[in-house]
Amino acid sequence: MKRTLIGLYAAITIVLMINGYYQAIYVAPNDAMQGEIFRIIYYHVPSAAVAFVFFAISLAGSIGFLAFRRNSPDKAQVADAWALAGAEVGVVFCTVVLTTGPMWGRRAWGIWWTWDARLTTTLVLWLIYVSYLLLRRFAAGPQMQTLAAVLGIFGALDVPIVYMSNRWWRTQHPAPVFGGAPGSGMDKSMLPAFGWNMLAWFAWGVFILILRFVIERRQQGIAAAEAQAALEA
Amino acid sequence: MDQAAILDHQFRVAAYIITWVIQLSYLAWLGYKWRAQKAKSED
Repeated sequence: MKRTLIGLYAAITIVLMINGYYQAIYVAPNDAMQGEIFRIIYYHVPSAAVAFVFFAISLAGSIGFLAFRRNSPDKAQVADAWALAGAEVGVVFCTVVLTTGPMWGRRAWGIWWTWDARLTTTLVLWLIYVSYLLLRRFAAGPQMQTLAAVLGIFGALDVPIVYMSNRWWRTQHPAPVFGGAPGSGMDKSMLPAFGWNMLAWFAWGVFILILRFVIERRQQGIAAAEAQAALEA
Repeated sequence: MDQAAILDHQFRVAAYIITWVIQLSYLAWLGYKWRAQKAKSED
């Protein structure tokens, strides 16, 4: 039953990805100003949205770990696994944002990179979560999870700053397409492609997030078994 | 097709390929980790 459900979800995700690609490349029209390069929006923006949501999951997991670590160690380990999974998969999506963005910028602005508020805060966000992952990989001892949780909470503070950066400051990065000033928005003919791609990338993201969570829970089980065996030896 | 349109097309295709290289590399790494865990738990 479990395997069937996983297979069904994977099949739905693949269908959504194929449809998303078809919509983005063959159905949506070229942008009147930018031409074909504008189509990068169909994977650049959903990747950013997925990264933000997964960093929020990491934040919730980090808070949960700190809240449960003394009284409910089992719940704390579950929360910690969500914190790690959210941060790691979030970094993967943020990496996509930071590689596709400069390629779009090179064609649209004539430059690969500029130190404006949106780009800089996004890079800082990525660096914070890469630091989080390095801390988890190389730090040892019982305090590692606590330190990682604190760093995860501080890292998440950058997410609303990234989101608001092109509202608060003048940036090279375009003004918000959605929820921006009056007159902003996307042409109706592009909305289905954008919506399908948002759905497809979220489905893909949730798939690998859950996979990463399961792997971390198994790792915790192996570590606990090894610790028990060492005590009994 | 003018030169700008050709470059736009190449950049768009390259960005799409890079996106999937990143995503599938990560998925492959998860698969490797999964297999390593399975082998370890069977020992």
